Amino acid sequence: MLGPGVAWYLGIAAFLFATGAFGVLVRRNPLIVLLSLEIMLNGANLALIAFSRHAANGAGQIFALGVMAVAAAEVCVGLGLVVAINRRRLALDVDEFSELRG
Amino acid sequence: MLAISAGGVIVWIVWVAAGFACLASGVAVVSFRNPFFSSLALIANLASLAVLYLLLSAEFVAAAQVLVYAGAVMVMFLFVTAYVGPRREPPWAGGPSWQTIGAVAAAGAIFVEIVVVIGLKAGGRLATSPSVGSVFGSPGWIGRLFLTDHLLAFEITSIVLLVAAVGGVILGSHTRRSNARVDAAGEAG
Amino acid sequence: MIPGAWLCLVAPLAGTVLILLGGSRVPRRADAWVGTLSVFVAFAGALWSFFALHADGSHESHYSVAYTWLAAGKFTVPLEIIVDPLSTFMMLIVSGVGGLIVLYSIGYMDGDDEERRYFAYIAFFVFSMLLLVEGGNMLLLLVGWGLVGLSSYLLIGFWHERPSAVAAAKKAFIMNAFGDATFALALFVLIAHSNSLEFATSFATAGHLSQSTVDLVALGLLGGAAAKSAQIPLHTWLPDAMEGPTPVSALIHAATMVTAGVYLIARTHPIFEDAPTIALVAAGLGAITLLAAGMIALVQTDIKRVIAYSTMSQIGYMFMAVGVGAFSNGMFHLMTHAFFKALLFMTAGLVIHAVADEQDIRKLRGVGSVMPWTKWAFLVGAAALVGIPAFSGFFSKDPILAADLHDHWYGVIFWVCGIVGTFLTGLYTFRLYFIVFPGEPSAFVREHHHRHHGKEGPWTMLVPVGVLTVLAALAGWIQFQPFWEPITHWLSPIIPTEPAAEATNWDDAITSLIAPIIGICGIVVAWMIYGAKQRLAVPSIPWLQRLLEHKFYFDEAYDLAFYKPAVATANLFRRDFEEPVVLTTGTDLGEGTLELGQATRKLQTGLLRTYVFFLGAGMAVLAIVFLAVR
Repeated sequence: MLGPGVAWYLGIAAFLFATGAFGVLVRRNPLIVLLSLEIMLNGANLALIAFSRHAANGAGQIFALGVMAVAAAEVCVGLGLVVAINRRRLALDVDEFSELRG
Repeated sequence: MLAISAGGVIVWIVWVAAGFACLASGVAVVSFRNPFFSSLALIANLASLAVLYLLLSAEFVAAAQVLVYAGAVMVMFLFVTAYVGPRREPPWAGGPSWQTIGAVAAAGAIFVEIVVVIGLKAGGRLATSPSVGSVFGSPGWIGRLFLTDHLLAFEITSIVLLVAAVGGVILGSHTRRSNARVDAAGEAG
Repeated sequence: MIPGAWLCLVAPLAGTVLILLGGSRVPRRADAWVGTLSVFVAFAGALWSFFALHADGSHESHYSVAYTWLAAGKFTVPLEIIVDPLSTFMMLIVSGVGGLIVLYSIGYMDGDDEERRYFAYIAFFVFSMLLLVEGGNMLLLLVGWGLVGLSSYLLIGFWHERPSAVAAAKKAFIMNAFGDATFALALFVLIAHSNSLEFATSFATAGHLSQSTVDLVALGLLGGAAAKSAQIPLHTWLPDAMEGPTPVSALIHAATMVTAGVYLIARTHPIFEDAPTIALVAAGLGAITLLAAGMIALVQTDIKRVIAYSTMSQIGYMFMAVGVGAFSNGMFHLMTHAFFKALLFMTAGLVIHAVADEQDIRKLRGVGSVMPWTKWAFLVGAAALVGIPAFSGFFSKDPILAADLHDHWYGVIFWVCGIVGTFLTGLYTFRLYFIVFPGEPSAFVREHHHRHHGKEGPWTMLVPVGVLTVLAALAGWIQFQPFWEPITHWLSPIIPTEPAAEATNWDDAITSLIAPIIGICGIVVAWMIYGAKQRLAVPSIPWLQRLLEHKFYFDEAYDLAFYKPAVATANLFRRDFEEPVVLTTGTDLGEGTLELGQATRKLQTGLLRTYVFFLGAGMAVLAIVFLAVR
């Protein structure tokens, strides 16, 4: 294979995943949380594709396509939630929804 | 030889550029205060990822990434961001004081762990990858896989999409007003 | 004879069980008669085994085993009874006098709300006492020993709403428990050396033990005997035990239970013969007790307590007898004492019952004029107690003193104690008589005395008193040492008198001359102080008066030695351990849990981010764990 070995792609994937996790944990705007979630999913996708290439097995790519479809579905629902929150004039801040506070 | 080595050099350069863009845009997504800029950064991230997929002989996935992800999902994002309107992002490190540090630690731990696990378990074997034919990653090849080996996954994914579409519509509809109309109709009728 | 013995043992137990099973459906009178008849059946069984044994002529101990009760390796204890001259002798006394007293109780306890419980308890007591005397090995003796202690506790505290009765019951039980413990320790030593508690093997073992070990065993047995028989120093429970109903005092604390100690020493006499020092201690305790009790009785103002101290004193005589080896003399005195002491208690009971339960002699004067028959019965009992010739006490008490006189140099000291004791006996007994019976009735008596249908009491109370009066008067003629001695001969195969205690005719004569004279002197002094027209004033010695009224300060001494340290220790533990540690631990645990909950609560921030963070952190930790494990 030309270019760097699969391991380097995996490194990028790990970094993307960690960055996305960090974003989910720290940001308060739900839109940005969803975006960070997308970053995580993309990191996983990259890892899948890399392994698929390394193992010369198509299952990884199929899986990655499935992930993409599910990510789309999830974004659809998540954005629907954001719209609903906005329509009710509530603050767009995940910290506001703390009714589970013990 | 030269072509190959020239191809190898080009691949390396493309790889470095795409990789750098990927990492930078990833950090940008979680850093910008304005969600609009974060969405744009995500689009850049998706594009660079598509390039990386190409390098990994996953042409169809790269195309799908650009078409579906960047073309449809991100457009939805931008729509909603525009709909929600400009707003002052509250300070991004709120909540319990241990949250940020914990988040950094958790993220760092995840990164380190993934690297370590892969290094420990498969480090040696990842050095060289077998070469694949040109059909690998082609749309026809993917399609054939979808319709033969992974038919179930294909079908279930379509159901998931359907459910998500319905859910999205319901979440976005004007529920209160439609209920009031139904009640009035019920009383009149 | 064996079936008779089993009948004797089981009948009172059957009576108890019947009363308990009958519950409150059975009328109280019926239960009373069930109890009484069960004891009479026991007496019939005792007579049967006695005559059978007598006819048998073998003069040896017969054992009858029911089954093996305890088996631990090589150590086995069968449930067996022994039928021999000594046990049949005791069976007759216990069931005979017991039957009369239970009959008396029918009249005495008539009208009490808890009459059934009383008869169940008293039948159970008779059973326990019979188990004690019929027990075929040391362990069964101890079982009977413990059960009579239990029955005594139940009956002393019969009127359990009275705090004084409850306290007296506890005191009796605890003191007896001390004796039980020393008894048990002695048994442990025997088991350790011989792996058996049969009488024969135990006595044989005792012969082979070192002197100090045998002394220990004998001391343990003596401890038990002294506690049960209320000898100094374990005597303070007996006067308090008068809180129980009068028939209980008559049966348990005069005729039978308190004599169990004498029986024990007689039964285990080989052990005491091997430990002459301890036997001497026994005799010494008896001597001290008879003097001290006699002195204390001089200042008592409660009818029953005078008689209780008299019991203590007379048992001191019995201990003196068995201590020096005159076992059959001691047993004979046990028999006559049962008769006249029960008689005295029962006549006192007649008086108490007729004057609205009043027991203070300062209020009771001139009772004899309204209850003449009772007065004569009491007089017979008193004469027997003092040892007036021809009455039973004379025949039984003097041989004890004679045996003492014969026995070494310390025997003379015992003899002198016994003679002084006789003087004291005459004095306190007739002090009681002269205060209560003769003269004009006091105002109290006039006011509260009531007759029972024109007689001095119901027939159930009068008949036993009558029978005992005859026995107290005449039973002594059975044995007149040294002329005819059927009892000694009957008992000698089992408890032969030690050679040192064989009184010579000379000893007998001297004693039988001096003792009654001294006794009569006591009576005369009592008459001079309490009965004559010109009363002799008692010299006032305040410190002596106080010493006697406080019963030689034994109660105060025990209070100081045992009770106060125990209370101090308990308070110490409560203050320094229980309150700071135990009580606060509970509350601390509760509060700590609450605080832990509050701290954990902080984790529930309600923020989505927190929960996601924990997801991520958990995943990271798990990954490490799986890495490390694999």
